[in-house]
Amino acid sequence: MASLKDRVGVITLNQEVAKDIFKMVLQFDDLPEDIKGGQFAHVKLNDKSHILRRPFCICDYDMSAKTVTLCYAVVGDGTRVLSSYAVGEKVDVILPLGNGFAPDKNVKKVVLLGGGMGSAVLPAIPTSNPDLDYYTYLGFANKDRVVLEEEMAKVSKQLTVATDDGSYGKKGFITNVLAEDMDRLKPDVVFCCGPEVMFKALKNALEPFDVPIIVSLEARMGCGVGACLVCNCKVKRKGEEENYVRVCIEGPVMKLDEVVL
Amino acid sequence: MSNLKVNIAGVEFKNPIITASGTFGFGREYDRFYNIEELGGICTKGLTIRPKLGNPSPRIAESYGGMLNSVGLQNPGVDHFLQKDDIYLSKRDLVVIANVAGSTLEDYIAIAEKMNDSQSDMVELNISCPNVKEGGMAFGVLPKSVERVTSAVKKACPNKPVITKLSPNVACIADNARAAESGGADAISLINTLSGMAVNYKTRKPILFNNNGGMSGPCVKPVALKMVWDCYNAVKIPIIGLGGITSYTDVLEFMICGAKAVQVGTYNFNNPYGARDIARDLANYVEQNDMDINDLVGTLILNK
Repeated sequence: MASLKDRVGVITLNQEVAKDIFKMVLQFDDLPEDIKGGQFAHVKLNDKSHILRRPFCICDYDMSAKTVTLCYAVVGDGTRVLSSYAVGEKVDVILPLGNGFAPDKNVKKVVLLGGGMGSAVLPAIPTSNPDLDYYTYLGFANKDRVVLEEEMAKVSKQLTVATDDGSYGKKGFITNVLAEDMDRLKPDVVFCCGPEVMFKALKNALEPFDVPIIVSLEARMGCGVGACLVCNCKVKRKGEEENYVRVCIEGPVMKLDEVVL
Repeated sequence: MSNLKVNIAGVEFKNPIITASGTFGFGREYDRFYNIEELGGICTKGLTIRPKLGNPSPRIAESYGGMLNSVGLQNPGVDHFLQKDDIYLSKRDLVVIANVAGSTLEDYIAIAEKMNDSQSDMVELNISCPNVKEGGMAFGVLPKSVERVTSAVKKACPNKPVITKLSPNVACIADNARAAESGGADAISLINTLSGMAVNYKTRKPILFNNNGGMSGPCVKPVALKMVWDCYNAVKIPIIGLGGITSYTDVLEFMICGAKAVQVGTYNFNNPYGARDIARDLANYVEQNDMDINDLVGTLILNK
């Protein structure tokens, strides 16, 4: 296994981009060259009362500028504290962790599907795989929660946004919107990140289409490097018994048909 | 001449810093950050006679200055350990302590017999697991059962020094320390995690799937220090102290209260270099003060 390092990132942006959703840009002295879309960063808060690091997907990165972008929702005390950090403040970050998306060689046409904050996983995928064609579908609860539309428009052949309540873009669940376009799109693969309910809906909605679905999972984590065994996910692989794997090492990116939902 | 070496039950540690069971896997993960041979020792993930799947998630929740876990002893089983990690770790220059657990006395005896021929230097007995034969009580709760399981393991594993790891969730931990000593334990380690619960007020549900979990981290340190002191005054065998250690000054406090060595657990998650940094800082302190770290053990001066 490759060696790992805890790096100091200087915050150059920490801005609310939608209701309770923040975009954070971190500047590093150096970045490892093997960053892949779908990998995550394990961020330490600057006080020991928050003893656990927070795992965030690497939303995007820029190797030449040596920056990493995170996009996070304020959901609890830790993210609230993180959102209060000023530009110039430093945070310790272990990255990149996890396996990331690794498209097969024969893949050309990719559907990127994001549900709510799960959309934060998507921008880094075209950054790591610039030669593929991306058709992007983003779904949000309502207009106030829409994020990353501009970023994804730049890297996608087509971008479709939907909200559950119809307050922005198309009305309805994004999984259904995608299902309607599947005959026309005929993608080689679907890369998805969103809540577990979305994975279930996606499995059903895309059942008629013979397309591999690769998802990025979310989990509460401890060490983030495979030692503590708290971020377990149940999988069922062909010819094997049901088993737990570590989201931080064997994931967070997994084949949807192997994940026991 | 300054000295950082400690000796526990005939086993020499180059420094008194050991990583705590369950927080450091079998060392491989943290070997990616630094050479784990800088540590005095490593305690392995808790091993059981058969592989164990563990509890469903969530298995972790944060609390102020600490965390709760309920992993449920997920591990690949002792045979897997003996074929792989035991060999990997035995080639490294640090003390290897195999942490073993069971749900019946027979389990403990069976795993102890296997450990007797292992490459590991010592065995740590995890006795915080439910014991159906005792009517749901944990092995670690009643002094009588602490003594019985320690003595059974000692008999089954005469080649290895045995450390009995004590639970803090008991009436009187000093009684359990004495029970471990009379059962033949070569050392004791304490404290294991404190029983606790994290609750989501919105769903009105506990955050952990298992409802309850074990609390660890800086918030438990005062409890641990007091219990180490209580046990130091109850037994003659060496004590390994743990509970919320995040700095070399924490280590000094534990040693003053009677610990001969310490374990660093939760802090590894916060700072992957944590245990190594503490060992380095402690080495600096000992050198600057030109002291033998052993002279500190049990030197607490109580207020009149």
